[in-house]
Formats: sequence, C-alpha cells, structure tokens
Amino acid sequence: MGEIVEPFEFKQCISILKSTGKRAKNLRELRDVIATVSDECIFHHTCQYFLKGHILEYTSDFAHWAGESLEEKALAEQLSNIDPYDFKNIGDLRKELLGVIDDYLKRFPEPREAMPGDEFFFNETVTLIFPIGIRARNLAEFLTAIKYVDSGSIYYHFYEARIRLGGGIDDFSRWIEDAFDKKELAERIKAIDPFMHNTEGIREHVVEAIEEEVRKDMEVI
Amino acid sequence: MALNQYSGISPKGDLLLLQMLSAKLYNISFLHINSTRAGGGVAEILQRMIPIIVELGINARWEVIEGDSRFFDITKKIHNALQGRLETITDDMWQYHYEVNRRNVERLNLEEDAVLIHDPQPAPLIEFRKDGRWIWRCHIDLSNPQQEVSDYLCRYGEKYDAAIFSVAKFARAMAIDEFIIPPSIDPISEKNRELTDEEINETL
Repeated sequence: MGEIVEPFEFKQCISILKSTGKRAKNLRELRDVIATVSDECIFHHTCQYFLKGHILEYTSDFAHWAGESLEEKALAEQLSNIDPYDFKNIGDLRKELLGVIDDYLKRFPEPREAMPGDEFFFNETVTLIFPIGIRARNLAEFLTAIKYVDSGSIYYHFYEARIRLGGGIDDFSRWIEDAFDKKELAERIKAIDPFMHNTEGIREHVVEAIEEEVRKDMEVI
Repeated sequence: MALNQYSGISPKGDLLLLQMLSAKLYNISFLHINSTRAGGGVAEILQRMIPIIVELGINARWEVIEGDSRFFDITKKIHNALQGRLETITDDMWQYHYEVNRRNVERLNLEEDAVLIHDPQPAPLIEFRKDGRWIWRCHIDLSNPQQEVSDYLCRYGEKYDAAIFSVAKFARAMAIDEFIIPPSIDPISEKNRELTDEEINETL
C-alpha cells in the first residue's frame, strides 16, 4: 500500500426543511413557480432528491410528482433524463427543467390536475455540514468507516461532491486516486451510477470494491 | 447521559449534531409553553424532550397556561375548525382567548433567550414579547382548515420569528420562516417500545 497523503475525513449533511409557502396543483403552475422560486428551492428538489429515500426511476421531486401524482409518465421520464449534477449553476438547470416542461405543454396543453392534498409543495432547506469525527488513514480503516457512517455521509461524499468537484467526481474516488494512486479502483467507484441506486446501494458497491482491493493488498502469494 | 439511550436507534449523525449545536447554545434559556402538563401529544413530547435539552446544557423550562372551561371550550372549537370542522368563533370568543393569555402573562416569566409556543391556545402570548426569539409550533393538521379561523390565528403567527409545521402542506402563507419538522416519536418511551412475546400473547 502506498504512502498516505491525507486521511479521509468523513463529513455528513443534515437538512432542515423550510416551506416557501408556494404550491402547484397542475403542470402550468409547476412551470410558473419553477421559473421564479429561489435557487435553494430548485437545488433541494433536484440535487437533494438523493438525500431522501427516493424512487429509483426518478431523478428529482419534479419528475417524481409528474409520474406519481399527475401520472404523466412520459414527462416524468423526460424530467428524469436531466442529471441535476451536470449543470454549472442552478440557473442552467432551471432553464433545462422549464424547457422540458414547455415542450411537453406544447404537445399536451391540458395536463391533468393533482388530487386535492397531493399538490406540489415547494420547499428549501437549511443544510448543516459537519465532520463526524471519523478519519481513515488507509483502505482498511476506510472500509470499516464506510460501513459505519450514516447515509447522510454517503450522500455528502458521493452525491453532493459532484457539485463541489464537478465532472462526475465523488470524494471517495478522488481520495483513493490522490492518496494511493489506485486509478483502477478509483475508476470503478467513479463508474457507480448515482441514479441507479439509493445511498445504501452506493454504500454496498463502494464496500464491495474496497473489500476486493484490501483482500488483494493482503495476499502475499 | 439520556442521549446515550438513543445510540443504536437514532442516526449517529443526528446525535452528534445535537451535541455540537448544544455546545454552541450552552447556557441559553429556552422556554416552552403549552396548555397542559398531561394528556395529548404535545405534553408527551415535552415530558421526554425537556430533560434531554437540559442535559445538553441548555436552561430549558416548561410552563403551562391556565384557563377556565370557557377558554378551553373556545380553544377546542378553534382546534376543530383548524382541522376542517365547521365552527363559529365570534369576536367575543377571540377576545376572551386573548384576554386569558394576557392574564397568564402576569404569572409567567417570558424573558428568555428563546420561547417556543405550542399550538393555538397560548399563541396570543406573542403580543407580550419583550425580548428573545419566539417560535410558534403548530402540531395540528392544517390541510383543510376553516379559512377565517386559520387566517385569524395567522395574524398572531406572523408576529413570531418563525413557525414550525409537521408537513409541508400544513404550512400557511406567512411572511416568516416556516420550518417543516415531523412530529417527534420517542422510540424508547414506554408507549413506543417493542413488546415482548409474552405481552403480545397476553393481549391477544
């Protein structure tokens, strides 16, 4: 095993939900509110979708609502094709969301209304990010730690990192490459599809990859 | 420490964050006010929550407002109206609701760093704020309220620094911060603990 450059410090984020007081009962209202709500609100309903126990076929609360409450499955699929981490800023993400909804409204100008009580409620969050007092200096320690931390920590390092680092990079693969120069392992973790799993699924795949690597490192013959 | 009882049940990060936040808020005074010491969900929450907050180094207190049967008949009607039942709340009734709260101010010390008012019964106490941060927590289902009753209550609500509702659809259009926090369910309270096979068989 190579020399350690920097220990991996596990952090976690916890979000406290805040209502914007805005709601939408149909697609037109959803579109109009998306056009005007705060960046924090768009961020919460897209990037932070993965902080919740989400339905795997969707990539945002907007897609989820379109699919489950409006039963507009085709629109839900198009909204789910948007990778919220693929945008340099929330303004561009907002434009993309509006573009998809506007196109849909041109083709289907009278989409159905949500049932009363099942409207879309626009929220924001106050997100607290804090170190959880766990550091890993090598892959064996990392393996123990990643099995132990809360799912909010997996979210922070695997999903939220994509916004901080850009280019589809997560904290785990970056550390593995920087600290140990294990490019193959880093690539394997980087290749885990964030949209095909929830945070527990991500944890399982990372554990599997690291376990194999640690076993390989241990074997002398 | 009471918080240790939640190890292995509550998420580790939540417990750690509570300790970190309480270190920042060490020694501040924090007053909770509701309308009853026993019976009902709010009293149940506060019985468990206040000792934990105190143990975290915050000077938490719990006070209860006093009222006569007329007051509690009125607040019962307000409660029902907020949950969608048709009730008539006259100007006289609202005035009495306010008046009973005003009388309570004479016996309550409201000068604290933070004050958390639970539900509509003590909501008018905000009119007597001297200092500190005041938050109103509404535990009631507001998904389909009688509008004029909800609007009247929000006139008090808007004077608070923030409000807390249990789910997003209960939030009202008010010009203050409105947080969404699900109700506390204490996993280690007697009511929520796992039953033994013996207890289940005995009941069946």
